[in-house]
Amino acid sequence: MLKKLTFGQYAHKDSIIHKLDPRIKILAVVALSATAFLLETYYKFVIFSLFVLVLIAISKISFSSLIRNLRPFFFVFVFILLMYIFFSRNQLDQGIRTIWKFILFIIIASILTFTTTITNMVTAIEKLIAPLKLIKINPRTTALLIALTIRFVPALFLYADRINDARLARLGNLRNPNHIKLLFLPLLDRIFKSASTLSDAMVSRCYTEKRGAYFNIIRLRYYDYASFIILLIFILLMLYASLMNLLIPWSLLPEKYSS
Amino acid sequence: MIQIKNLYFKYEDEIILKNISLKLKDGCYTAIIGANGSGKTTLAKHLNALLMPAKGSVIVDGIDTKNDQFSVRKKVGFVFQNPEDQLVYSIVEEDIAFGLENLGIETKEMKTKVNEIMKELNIEYLAKKNVNMLSAGQKQLTALAGILVMSPKYIVFDEPTTLLDNKNKKNIMEVINKLNKKNKIGIILITNLLNDIKYADNAVVMGNGNIIFDDKKSKLNKNILKKAGLDA
Repeated sequence: MLKKLTFGQYAHKDSIIHKLDPRIKILAVVALSATAFLLETYYKFVIFSLFVLVLIAISKISFSSLIRNLRPFFFVFVFILLMYIFFSRNQLDQGIRTIWKFILFIIIASILTFTTTITNMVTAIEKLIAPLKLIKINPRTTALLIALTIRFVPALFLYADRINDARLARLGNLRNPNHIKLLFLPLLDRIFKSASTLSDAMVSRCYTEKRGAYFNIIRLRYYDYASFIILLIFILLMLYASLMNLLIPWSLLPEKYSS
Repeated sequence: MIQIKNLYFKYEDEIILKNISLKLKDGCYTAIIGANGSGKTTLAKHLNALLMPAKGSVIVDGIDTKNDQFSVRKKVGFVFQNPEDQLVYSIVEEDIAFGLENLGIETKEMKTKVNEIMKELNIEYLAKKNVNMLSAGQKQLTALAGILVMSPKYIVFDEPTTLLDNKNKKNIMEVINKLNKKNKIGIILITNLLNDIKYADNAVVMGNGNIIFDDKKSKLNKNILKKAGLDA
């Protein structure tokens, strides 16, 4: 399973979402995640999920990649569900909605990482957090830290896979707590060594806290503004519905479905 | 020319390099060989100002590494052993451009340089690929392209073939040789494999933080290699 994981990795496709300014995409992820957090009724969940499905279709991301991204969280979902079943069965409905929200969060974030290269992400974060310079936080370093975390997730799984294979080859058993410890200690050691080499590699390529030039210049174009307006309208409608509960079909439905 | 004068380096209380003096001439292909733990990688890191001498000095074309690290790093590129750990960005062409962004090269010129280097190393077809999906050989070529694009005068290769299969190993060694013979780039190859020094002009043999031998490769003999703990 670990070998097949492509978590958060950019996939080159010719789509409008790929072409969008990364700043718009990052703001969209924040806004959509906040809206998903406020979802309550199943009808709003369905409408929101349909909107996300449209985004997936436009971005030409393969569903199998998205499913692979969700797989590592499967046990978390089962755990949440079991907690509700055992300790709060009358709120099982709430548990399902919580898992649905999680899935939406992951998919929304995946759309960003599948359609945005690390360089563009770094540039966008750098520009978005530029005001933090006032409190002595370096935007480039912070942006690069976030981007490198995404870049190295598959490598971490690869290291874990190799260490796990080595343990199993010597009759290790991951059900034994001591053997789990034997997986994580070498993994941590590998991560620190990797980080040290990477930092040396960056320094040897003249890394400085201020970037002198940009390989990809990001610029807001008409379709960025148009996408942002569409997104804004959708989010405002969802918020309006949440606040006023005015979407007509919902009020016509039996109460058990609308709350 | 790179000049190392009476270099000492210690880590915690252990002395890793002892009184090293060495001259690496412009455009020369020098192999630094030694067994594991002989101090060759530590020495190599001094050439790119990644490490600073505890005593003595490293001077690259008249610039002391203690005084101006940025200029030294522009002149001396460094290719690491594990290609997985030296690629910063996720897309090949963007990673190659990382050094140029740091140097402040204008975007248009940057794109031209990146394309030229990819063409030279025959990796144009990888331009838009995700680095996580590349083979070890392709990753090493991408890492090399990221250094070459900065037009260094010297390149240090720290055991660049250790993690490669025979075919990729041969390819990388031929590329390194071409860089030296055709592009006149000074090569400093760190290795513990005698097969890798085939194209080198000079050899430096290290053992226990000392230089055992520093001369033409043709003068190397079994006794020296045995003394360094290497198979003849």
